[in-house]
Amino acid sequence: MSLIPIASLSQGTYIDENALQPAQVNTYWNWQDVHRADQYLYHLEGLRDRNSTSEERAQFIRNELANLGLRAATQNYTFTASSGLLSGVNAYAIMASPRTPSSEAMVISATWRSEVGKEPYNLRGISIVLALAAFLKNYSLWAKDIIFVIGDGYLDGMQAWLNAYHGTIPPNLETSLLEYTSGVIWTALNIDYSGHSFSHLGVFFEGLNGRLPNQDLINSVRLISHYTGGVPFIVYDHLEPNDFPDRWQTTSILANAPDFIRQSPQLQDFEYRAKNIVRHINYQARGKPSGAHGLYHKFRIDAITLFAVPATGPHGFLALGRIVESALRTTNNLLERLHASFFFYLFTSPGTFMKIGKFLPSAVLVSAAMMISGLGDWVNAGWLHEAVTENDREEAAAGGPSSKIQGKKMVRWRMRRRPLLRPIFTVLGTHVMGLLAFNLMRSPIFVENHLAASLLLFGALTILPFVFASLPDRTPEVAPFSLLLKSFNLCLASIVISTTSLLNFSLAAILAITLAVPLMYSSCSRSSPPRIVSLAKYVTYSFLAWGWLFLRDEVKQAIWNWEVLGIWFAPFICIVYGPLVTQAGVVSLQP
Amino acid sequence: MESPLFLPTLAACRLLLAWVQLPVLDGLQLDHQLTSPLTSYFRLKEGLWLYHHGVDPYLGGVLKHSPLFLSLFSTVSPGRVAWALSDIVGAWALVRIWHSRQQLGQSRRDGLVGAAYLLNPYILLPSLASSTSTFENAVVLLTLMFAAEGRPSPALLALALSIHLSLSTSLLLVPVLMLLVTSPTSRLASPRPFGGSYWMVFKYASEFVVYWSVLVCAASIMAGGVWNWMHESWGASLILPDLTPNPGLWWYFFTEMFDHFRPFFLMVFSTHLAIYIMPVCIKFQHDALYAAFLLLGILGTFKPYLTLADPGLFLSMFAVFPEIYPYLRHAVVTALLHAHASLLLPLFHALWVIEGRGNANFYYAASLVMGVAGGAGIVDACFAGMRIAIGNGSEAERGKWEVVQQ
Repeated sequence: MSLIPIASLSQGTYIDENALQPAQVNTYWNWQDVHRADQYLYHLEGLRDRNSTSEERAQFIRNELANLGLRAATQNYTFTASSGLLSGVNAYAIMASPRTPSSEAMVISATWRSEVGKEPYNLRGISIVLALAAFLKNYSLWAKDIIFVIGDGYLDGMQAWLNAYHGTIPPNLETSLLEYTSGVIWTALNIDYSGHSFSHLGVFFEGLNGRLPNQDLINSVRLISHYTGGVPFIVYDHLEPNDFPDRWQTTSILANAPDFIRQSPQLQDFEYRAKNIVRHINYQARGKPSGAHGLYHKFRIDAITLFAVPATGPHGFLALGRIVESALRTTNNLLERLHASFFFYLFTSPGTFMKIGKFLPSAVLVSAAMMISGLGDWVNAGWLHEAVTENDREEAAAGGPSSKIQGKKMVRWRMRRRPLLRPIFTVLGTHVMGLLAFNLMRSPIFVENHLAASLLLFGALTILPFVFASLPDRTPEVAPFSLLLKSFNLCLASIVISTTSLLNFSLAAILAITLAVPLMYSSCSRSSPPRIVSLAKYVTYSFLAWGWLFLRDEVKQAIWNWEVLGIWFAPFICIVYGPLVTQAGVVSLQP
Repeated sequence: MESPLFLPTLAACRLLLAWVQLPVLDGLQLDHQLTSPLTSYFRLKEGLWLYHHGVDPYLGGVLKHSPLFLSLFSTVSPGRVAWALSDIVGAWALVRIWHSRQQLGQSRRDGLVGAAYLLNPYILLPSLASSTSTFENAVVLLTLMFAAEGRPSPALLALALSIHLSLSTSLLLVPVLMLLVTSPTSRLASPRPFGGSYWMVFKYASEFVVYWSVLVCAASIMAGGVWNWMHESWGASLILPDLTPNPGLWWYFFTEMFDHFRPFFLMVFSTHLAIYIMPVCIKFQHDALYAAFLLLGILGTFKPYLTLADPGLFLSMFAVFPEIYPYLRHAVVTALLHAHASLLLPLFHALWVIEGRGNANFYYAASLVMGVAGGAGIVDACFAGMRIAIGNGSEAERGKWEVVQQ
């Protein structure tokens, strides 16, 4: 796994869909459009300084869009989550394509808030969307409708708009259907430009539950950014080491290393790529979208966020406008959905990526090892290893094929029964426990007094498994319960890792580390340890499984993500991860 | 599980489930793992609607169910209770099969056998999805139950009915006839040549033809014609007109195939199913119930328009044959393969159909895992059924055996 950042394992990106033809057009975006964007920015800054309400802002944006002659409307929404209500107002407008009946569409969006940069409000992003609306409607070459959306909040507004657009309004969302709609949305660009000017254009691409957009979209925008906009293109807001050699030295974790290590280009490159992958895993494993674009992915729309990396210069509205215009012209060329390039990849640097075949084995190997060890335990549970006494030896020497000589001592293997029901009930019981715990965590009582409730829940989750760990059966004819349970536990964990590895590699990689180590070492040693040691071990496991309950903000955020955005991370941890580690704890409890 | 109240409680829970409204259930009815075009509840309702409005339901190519379902549900409303009752009947039949195999009235394993059917997720989920495969399974089990209890007329009638509902079940014709003239008790450990009278087999076969013809006539009167319904319902499993994905192995081959090869490969695939009948029935001529069990396994792997209910029936029937358990070589591997397949199928289906980042190959790969799991189950059951005849003698005795071929 630690080999993933090595440069030679990655390969160069390329455009797979011939229809895209990125950076092949002359752009028309010019200074007058920049001026218009500046004027919008002036108004928006006024709204921000007056602490205007969502309603006022949305109304302003709607009016501006309607003044351009577009079909514009606002949308009110209220989310009900266990942590409280959340409401806001979105504004959007639809530009009908002059060339086709509105059966396909592309979206340009910006959200009111920005979470990546230092500035909290994405005012310049919204201004450029408005200016683009004014600019794009002058051209008759659009083959798809263009939808301009300004979402309130950070993720919630976009989520409400998308659900209303697709008519999939969940019960906890209160909103009406949209006044105007268009056709199927194929691609979307989300713009996050919160700083004053920018030096690089960063791309954020991770979507809900670890879905990634088609790589062609990212590659096209990269080429456009280089050739049309003249802006260097990076992943996230990570500058490449040679972009700022002086500062890299101080931010690098190798800063205190000897000179020859610090200045080694290979190591610098390795660190840069590792940084990108860690950031990627951090988003993807939690299923968290890295920006508002991630919400589109649920509806099978390929979307990315273009993040203008804040700097004192040299680029501004002019370059960004050109890039977005050219990117829209490129996606306008599409005849079918993006499907040609990759959906499963790791971006190690803007121009290089790893195919799934290169990185998948790292998680699958761990899972295979767990499976083999689980099956090994199963086989061991079926056989009894006993030393033959003197009396039996003659009998055995008569030619039992299953007895063999080990040194001078005769050893015989005997089959024994493997009662299945108890381990199966333990496994089922712990998972049901996880499900109950998850439902409890969503209740308002839990949210209000978090510390007390999580202490109680943790206690319950630690003590309840003792039901399963009853008295050990000492008869040698029956396989020990703990060995059987361990074998089940390992096999189950292996299945979980190998099936998630394709869906969400980052999650599988994290699980491979957090599950493999505790589960493999949960076993009973031959000499039974004192009671207190096994108890301590059990409590450690319990902390591994449920200790995160005490991280108040994380839990709250994860539950909110599940309720509002539908991110599977919280239920997955409660129903799959926690119980698996608890089972390992029960194994360690048995002598 | 050993208390006499266990099974009634379980059945009551199953009935209660028919009234509970769970949000999860709505999605199940469209799930490709649980319903196929031949068993889909929506198509059945559409057909019923057309039928009630005087349109021939078999004209549009929507309805592929047997006309008998139409006649059943135009008298009884197709509520979820019907599915729950059908599950309970299936479990009851399975317990009765177990009784007649053991030649005893009540036993301590009754609860386990019933639970193996009622709690099997492969059986329960299609039933919650209102797939008509639930009724097909129940009729198959009733057939085997009557045959095992030595009641030829009901058994043959049930068999004719089940072949009507799903043509693939005709694989069971030979073992059921054999079962009627022999005993259902386990003879796996002491194989001997087929002892039934061929004259009786012939007599029962003729009786079956009579029942079957009567049902064909009834269905034709019901559907107002002979050709249309036969072409739509039986024809569907022979000429595969609808290539909706399912966990089976047929659909992908025929989506990829050039049209001029289609008739040939349809013939190959159908013959492939039929080819297993004779070897299995000859090898297990001493235990026809076991032969029927193996053929159900074949159906549960290679059937056209497979849904999870088909392998589910095979897996549940393992509960009736406890004598083979010690001889199963890789039961855990089979179970793990099924666990993999049942996780991968919905995930890859979502990846392809909902998220759009996978394609049909992903789902087909998952259905291949399902095929491997089904195959592993059959091979293991086949091996154990034959291995049991050699027995597990003491070590000294085993020394005398020489393994010539393995």
